[in-house]
Amino acid sequence: MMLVNEVIIPLSTAILITAFYVQGQAFISSMIRGQAFQSVLLAIISLIMGYLTGSFDYLALAVLIILMRAFLVTYLLERKMGEEKSQVQESRVNVAYLFLLSLIFIVISVFIVYSISFSHIGLRTIEAGPDVLVFPITLFFQGLFLIGSRRNTFAQIIGYIEEENAIVLLAVFLIPIPFLVEASAFLDVLALVVISSLVVEVKQDHTRIEELRG
Amino acid sequence: MNLSEIMVIVLIVLPSSSFVFLRRGMATASAVIAFIELGVVFWIYFFPPPVGIFYVTPLTWIFILMVSSVYLLATIYSIRYMEGLKVWISPSHYYLMLNLFTSAMLFSLVINDYGLMWVGIESTTVLSALLIVLEKNENTLEATWRYIILVSAGVAFAFISIILIYYTTGSLSVSVDTGAGATGRYVSLAVGIALLGFGTKVGVFPVHTWLPDAHSEAPPAVSAMFSGVLLPVALYVLYRIYEIQPMPYLYGSVAVLSIAFSAIFLGNQKRYKRMFAYSTMENMNLALLGFAIHTDISIAGAILLLLAHSYGKAGAFFSSGSILKHTGSHKIGRVKGLFRDLPMTGTSLLLSSLAVTGAPPSGVFFAEILIFMALVTNGYYIFFVITIISVFLSFVSINYNVGRMLFSDSAGIRERRSSLTYISLVSSIMPSLVGILFLVGYYAMF
Repeated sequence: MMLVNEVIIPLSTAILITAFYVQGQAFISSMIRGQAFQSVLLAIISLIMGYLTGSFDYLALAVLIILMRAFLVTYLLERKMGEEKSQVQESRVNVAYLFLLSLIFIVISVFIVYSISFSHIGLRTIEAGPDVLVFPITLFFQGLFLIGSRRNTFAQIIGYIEEENAIVLLAVFLIPIPFLVEASAFLDVLALVVISSLVVEVKQDHTRIEELRG
Repeated sequence: MNLSEIMVIVLIVLPSSSFVFLRRGMATASAVIAFIELGVVFWIYFFPPPVGIFYVTPLTWIFILMVSSVYLLATIYSIRYMEGLKVWISPSHYYLMLNLFTSAMLFSLVINDYGLMWVGIESTTVLSALLIVLEKNENTLEATWRYIILVSAGVAFAFISIILIYYTTGSLSVSVDTGAGATGRYVSLAVGIALLGFGTKVGVFPVHTWLPDAHSEAPPAVSAMFSGVLLPVALYVLYRIYEIQPMPYLYGSVAVLSIAFSAIFLGNQKRYKRMFAYSTMENMNLALLGFAIHTDISIAGAILLLLAHSYGKAGAFFSSGSILKHTGSHKIGRVKGLFRDLPMTGTSLLLSSLAVTGAPPSGVFFAEILIFMALVTNGYYIFFVITIISVFLSFVSINYNVGRMLFSDSAGIRERRSSLTYISLVSSIMPSLVGILFLVGYYAMF
């Protein structure tokens, strides 16, 4: 219980801070680095859970997160940004306004979802109350908000990865699902990022198109 | 491993093995593979259904049949359609993706694990995304991106449902969980979240928004695969989760709402492929309603609807592709005199649009009667009233627009008959054959 209070909860809080950091950025390279750091924190939590529960699956999961999310996805996205990567930014959004809006949206959504659905659920992994599930739920909504609020392809991919990180964190806290499923899901997400990056190559922004209305 | 399991593996591996022909002869090889695939599907019908790594029930077999037969039609159609077309990915890669996409759908159907079913459904998104963007332009790129991001974000949500299923039942086995009779707050939550998550891929309102874009911008064969089989496969996975703990009012309400909204959207369509996309949304939600009511009659109706619809909608999209090749326009108002100018294409368009909107003797017509009967006999009167009005409105909207395209003055175009027109016609006749077979079977039984 002490390890949960002194390590798991501060690390989970740090994950949320990275999520809000990503939301507050206009430059895409900062968002990508924020996502990479978030994935590393998630891998550390998985490692600690492996130590606490003695499960090898958690250790393997940590390695997968580091390899695929923190390294491969970051590398793929940065490579697609090209030479001028430090200059790529979301130009048509008011970042400060979106940041405030995301805070309001997330507080309301998390309050509703947690109090209705998860406030009485018992964790099968660590000795902690269901309140630690607030972290993955918040991260999930932050990822969704990022997808919805940005028009840039890179930003939307990062939103999707945040959403996936939230699901991994939920599974890590609630119940570890079979490793085969977890690993396959990781590969799927990686493949999706690869396919997305092909689209990114030719289309970085998304606007209304007359033919796609109605 | 018994023979039936080996056959199921063959079924999945066969399309994906086509990469051997990547350098040469991919189109022909894909058509041959698709043909063998259909033969294997009929063969496995005579084996005892496997329950182990795979879970193939008679219901699963019908879905496998749908996937394999629409895959065969789409492959043959693509051969002619791709001729002279300026494409972003090479034709060989197009066929490879189409074949892998089919493998992923078959995997999702037969695997006896909810987690891996989710992986299969997510893989279909990965493998089909580049098929939409075949003819690279601003519209196809935007439609592809919307498809990738909306469906992935939605299906990611469904993973929470998988976690909760594992949390409550301690197993991800489909054959175990569907018969376990699990109940409780978190089972309900899992089944509810699945509706929103997998519902994104099924085309449930309000998470359907990718559907009209992807269907209207993809090549006709890909639209046919999407509408005819991809959405039903997602619905199959959703139904397998629904079986753990049926929630008829939740699923029924969402399905009815989606049917009503699709009818509203259909009233304002200016492009024919987009119109058929909304018709898919209507049909998928009718099938969802049938599954949601969860009686023998309503489930039979849902299955019959999906089977007849898969061929009918393939016919509609194939005809649309043929019209586009001849006229060069996506707009309903710019396509005129099809019956005079393109009689064969016009006939297949008329037959397929009548079939998917539920005109007799199409299987969709009998399926709708079964679903309506189930609604009334089980006391879902409000669902019945809203659904029947919406189905009527959709019927009028689609057939009015198709009528405008068919029976107006000639535009002076001459029909170039090819495999495109023949495949369209065959697909358009199939729903009526399904309907007649159903009637024959019904009278033979009673």
